[in-house]
Amino acid sequence: MLKNMLLDLQNNLRAYRVLISFSGRFSQGIIEELGDAIRKYMEVEDKPRNSIYNVFAVFVEQTHNIKNYVAEQECSPYYEQIANSGIITIGKTDNRYYVCSGNLIQHKDAGILSSRIDKLIDLDKNELKKLYKEEIKKDLPPGSKGAGVGLIDIARKTSQRIEYSILKLDDNLSFFSIKVQV
Amino acid sequence: MLHKLYIEKTRGTPEVVFDPEQNTLILRGQSYPENAFKFYEPVLEWINQYFVQCNSPVFVEIKLSYINTSSSKCIMMLLEKFEEEFQKGLEVRLNWYYDEENESELECAEEFKEDVNFTFNIIPLQEEV
Repeated sequence: MLKNMLLDLQNNLRAYRVLISFSGRFSQGIIEELGDAIRKYMEVEDKPRNSIYNVFAVFVEQTHNIKNYVAEQECSPYYEQIANSGIITIGKTDNRYYVCSGNLIQHKDAGILSSRIDKLIDLDKNELKKLYKEEIKKDLPPGSKGAGVGLIDIARKTSQRIEYSILKLDDNLSFFSIKVQV
Repeated sequence: MLHKLYIEKTRGTPEVVFDPEQNTLILRGQSYPENAFKFYEPVLEWINQYFVQCNSPVFVEIKLSYINTSSSKCIMMLLEKFEEEFQKGLEVRLNWYYDEENESELECAEEFKEDVNFTFNIIPLQEEV
């Protein structure tokens, strides 16, 4: 029974060509470990430094985005559910790597999130750079965990259109996922 | 008298060696801490105190092989402080090292350079930082 469960899981990971995955509560330590693992894997495959850097950067921004979102939810009644809902996978497509992550969000946050991503999807590299520079220079509200530009940075590093989805689970929670190819 | 600022490097945070006697400010490693603002707060605070008393040319060395976005914001704040002093007449010279084989690192350095007017040298390194 146990054997079948693991085999099924492994076959699924293989089918999606997942190299590295983690599901659960992200800590900085886990982020650093996984980050190192990705780097080492790509170094062994002799990938250009530039693409190792970009995969690593997208991975860091995605996981920090989840972590920061979780931190914002500290007083929410859904905190535990959201905090344990993170998942990240790094895998391969034919000639690229992808970084795909997901987490629960409060349904009320879905609109703002999708409009932020939609706004970025159609911008070209120069427009993204300009927006990045404008946003990073803005003063941040006290207590901010990040610079608020993680998604722009991700959009700058992707080689294909960003894919994302928000799936409504019930009246309160939705599952957000984002896939970025480098 | 301001003491030397030394912060040991970890996987996600750079080594910081700021020496007020030599007027050298060095940042080396990678920067993607859990909370960049918390990490850089004492660094920026030290710089504020340092510039109150500093009147000799300042030499800055930055070798950061990866900087996440929130750290980039903090590095930008640091460079803004250098720029302010430069505008007041202080000599500031910065050497930014990057891995020659990594154009993303070069791009990152160039973007920081765009916003400042002090001497900002971008220097390729042949070995991995």
